[in-house]
Amino acid sequence: MLGPPLAVALGVAAALAFPEPSDTTRARILLGGLEMAVPLAAAVACATLIGQDPAREVQLSAFTPYRITLLRRMTVVLAWTASVALLTAAVLILTGWWERWPQNHGALAGQLTWLAPTLALSGLGFAAGAVLRSPAAAGAIVTTVWAVQQFFGDAVQAHQPGRLLYLFATTRGVVPGDWTANRLTLLGTGAALIALALVLLGRPERLISEEDE
Amino acid sequence: MTTFGASLRYEFRMQVRKRSVWIVPALTLVLFVLIGGSLLRDLFDPGERPLDPRTGVVGLAVQLHALLAIGFGCLLADRLVRDDRLGVAPILDATPASPAARLLGKYLGAAAATAVPIAVAYFGFAAAYAIDTRQPVALAWALAAFTVVIVPGLLLVAAFALAVPMIMPAPLFRVLFVGYWLWGNIVSPEMMPTLARTLFHPLGGYPLDALFGFHGIDGEDTWAGPVTGATFNVLRPEPTPVLAWLSIALLLLVSAAALAGGHTLRARRLR
Amino acid sequence: MRIEISGLTKTYRGGVHALDGLDLDIPTGMFGLLGANGAGKTTLMRILAGIVRPSAGRVVVGGHDMASSAGRTAVQRELGYLPQDLGVYPDLTARQFLDYVALLKGMDDRPVRRRRVGELLEVVALTEYADRRLRGFSGGMRQRVGIAQALLADPRLLIVDEPTAGLDPEERIRFRTLLSQFAGRRTVLLSTHIVDDIGHTCREAAVLARGRLIFRGTVEELTRRAEGRVWSVVTDGPAPSEGTVVSALPQDDGMRYRVVARDAPSAQARPLDPSLEDGYLAVAADQS
Repeated sequence: MLGPPLAVALGVAAALAFPEPSDTTRARILLGGLEMAVPLAAAVACATLIGQDPAREVQLSAFTPYRITLLRRMTVVLAWTASVALLTAAVLILTGWWERWPQNHGALAGQLTWLAPTLALSGLGFAAGAVLRSPAAAGAIVTTVWAVQQFFGDAVQAHQPGRLLYLFATTRGVVPGDWTANRLTLLGTGAALIALALVLLGRPERLISEEDE
Repeated sequence: MTTFGASLRYEFRMQVRKRSVWIVPALTLVLFVLIGGSLLRDLFDPGERPLDPRTGVVGLAVQLHALLAIGFGCLLADRLVRDDRLGVAPILDATPASPAARLLGKYLGAAAATAVPIAVAYFGFAAAYAIDTRQPVALAWALAAFTVVIVPGLLLVAAFALAVPMIMPAPLFRVLFVGYWLWGNIVSPEMMPTLARTLFHPLGGYPLDALFGFHGIDGEDTWAGPVTGATFNVLRPEPTPVLAWLSIALLLLVSAAALAGGHTLRARRLR
Repeated sequence: MRIEISGLTKTYRGGVHALDGLDLDIPTGMFGLLGANGAGKTTLMRILAGIVRPSAGRVVVGGHDMASSAGRTAVQRELGYLPQDLGVYPDLTARQFLDYVALLKGMDDRPVRRRRVGELLEVVALTEYADRRLRGFSGGMRQRVGIAQALLADPRLLIVDEPTAGLDPEERIRFRTLLSQFAGRRTVLLSTHIVDDIGHTCREAAVLARGRLIFRGTVEELTRRAEGRVWSVVTDGPAPSEGTVVSALPQDDGMRYRVVARDAPSAQARPLDPSLEDGYLAVAADQS
């Protein structure tokens, strides 16, 4: 639960730490906190949902399917993340910082700044957890994908598929015209990965075997 | 065999058998190849690769280190708290073995096992490059870069990955760790206060600059030393070989301090 | 190895008193430890194993003061410990796990260590599964690995917390016989909720409640504490409200209850000879 607010706090701290700020740059860092740090915090939390559950056999024997319980847990994580992100966005809009970043895409559609990468990366964490059943491994995959896109942003965006899957298209996107397609692709990817995880979680015998400790 | 040796041997054995220790770096490399623009492909392209084998393999070390250290840290983040979670800790704590020696063995054993895929990938690509370019000296440079640049960085990451989850949940550590790795290595000192280019640079800016004369693939970058107007410039003296070794020693010292902190925290919990 | 405990107190963070000024002497041989959940048995065993430090009081084991690091290490050299919530490394085989623990116990001589591990695998009937990873072991098999690791260094002090949990009836009998044979001139401290196990193995026992000692004596004395207080009541009505119902057995004419109570629960109640379990319940009831 600490992750998303901490992520926002780090984004604000980064904006304040900038020594020679222009308003545009500072606004970019503030929106960057929403687009980069918040999705990472949510996704790592989603990556830990599967595995190391001491009550999993009880859950599997319960009337409610375990995958539905896991989906509910994921919904709680995402709802909390969304609350923190929306509150932050509202503050940025009211204080005028939102508008100071030229590629903000408005107050409404602009919410896809955090929503699309959050869903895509969280879907990846959830699916990786379902496949590997190791929070450590799933967390490692999420953080690595995030870091690859950070370190090699230009290389990722050098071709169309990379641009469509680039997580930080609002604050580090090289082709602004791709933004809407990019956000929709990320939303679709997230949904597909969650669906994949739910299919895998429908096989209880996979879940009761020992995990990769 | 000593307590340290026993712990080292069995922690290595357990960690190296984990599927995820192999799957995570493998997926990372696949992703890295797919996005293009990395030395994993360029080293084998006569039109793109650096002419100097030292620049080629040192550049490869920087890229792999920057990327694979993230999975490395995340995979190690539960190793110290794992004994308590599995319920093995009471058995181990009831033995006369020194807890400090056990911790050191666990640290080096688990870190070495998690580094095996990184070493395999690095030396594998370096060997292929040496064969492709018919320059066996590339392998010697690879060995030097791995020892002097990658190993100290990984030891630092491993120490924090073991110790910090004693005071916070491992998932939160993973988030903060990747943020730190980005901030401490990649963020430019002109942008905000950062450890990049300082003596504490985990990617090894001083050894890269002063011991390998590495200035980026195109020879146009610098990796250590002062930046005009940046904060923490007191930690960025002009790079020299002595300072490069001092930088390595500092990374090891900070690693030891982190481990000692983890050891103290665990001992305090038993009281 | 004699154990002398005086004024032992352990207070956890949050102010929970697990042990509250406990005084207890434990002689050589088998010694039973009884008590309800939360009575302080596990905390006492952890302190004796040197993995938890007391808040106050003194513990001397075989002449070694557990307050000092040297004293704890000296005791741990002579110790076999089977914790209540036993865990194993799922990635290791049974043989490797035992080898690892043996090394930590200072068994450096490789042939000796291998031989001892082999012997103990035989003792706990796991030779056939010795080279299989522990992740595939059932709860009972893991418990047997736990028993084997506790016996590794031929300890003079053996502390076992719920050792027969998860074992099948035959294994349970085999293990408690093994413990009795093992005791001899050693000290074996057996904590369990299965009172029957103590009756079959120990001459002496102690009962703890809320971190204090409420009984210390022979098992016969403990049994006698229920003399004149055990009743059989057959009724088709509600269960007796007085005393502690030990068992309820359906009959043709209603339900037969075995009850531990100071006075006869009803006019039709018939007195019975007490068992060790009745004695334990009588002592516990006196305290509550």
